[in-house]
Amino acid sequence: MDNSFYLLENLIHFTNKRHKVIASNIANIDTPDFRAKDLRFSKVLDKELLALTDTHDRHIRSESEKFNKNTTTLESNLIWADRNNVELDIEIAKMTENALLGEASIKLLSTRMRMFKDAVRRR
Amino acid sequence: MDSFSVFKISASALDSQRKRMNVIASNMANVHSTSTEDQGVYQRKDVLFEATPVDPKGKYEGVKVKEIVIDNTQPIVVYDPAHPDADAEGYVTMPNINIIEEMVNMMMATRAYEANVSAFNISKELFMKTMEIGR
Repeated sequence: MDNSFYLLENLIHFTNKRHKVIASNIANIDTPDFRAKDLRFSKVLDKELLALTDTHDRHIRSESEKFNKNTTTLESNLIWADRNNVELDIEIAKMTENALLGEASIKLLSTRMRMFKDAVRRR
Repeated sequence: MDSFSVFKISASALDSQRKRMNVIASNMANVHSTSTEDQGVYQRKDVLFEATPVDPKGKYEGVKVKEIVIDNTQPIVVYDPAHPDADAEGYVTMPNINIIEEMVNMMMATRAYEANVSAFNISKELFMKTMEIGR
């Protein structure tokens, strides 16, 4: 059995977490001194999809952390007069994109489940 | 389980923006209030937001109104001898409220409120889709 269930589960988990972070940014759009946060996705890909199996001690291992522990990061671009750097349009765009990614992974997971069900049923 | 904390985040923002709207409405209503219950001229008020964690670990931050601050800028003095609150020289102290500024603030509060409503709706959609796993 391949690891697609595990991967998709993690992807859904990731999109849920990122959704919360973005919701928090939007909630704090007028909070003085607040800095926008985000979750990084590249490390997940690196760890889960592109990781190579090391068969020798001297193989270079991926240094990436597990994405569940991937901490929220600060982004600093422009800073408003209230020392806040949340840009509403960018946050909404990120949220839409993230929600679509979440929906896509849910759809993929459902399809995968259906494939397994079909395989079991039709001998 | 803090799956639903995203709703708490959006709800806290809706609540805070609504409080801000109340304060702005109060400022606009009192644009000509030359006296208050404690005698002095009405002073403009503003809200101060603060990021506040919604879960025990404090990873995700909602927002709350930290306090309602009083704007201590100079009141506007106008010459109007017929006004009941005019002083001996005929000058009346009017609240330090600029109605245009209040309108702009109100529009910003509305936009922020709307943004949080759409964030809330997107979260809801995502949850509904999650319910469909395996169907």
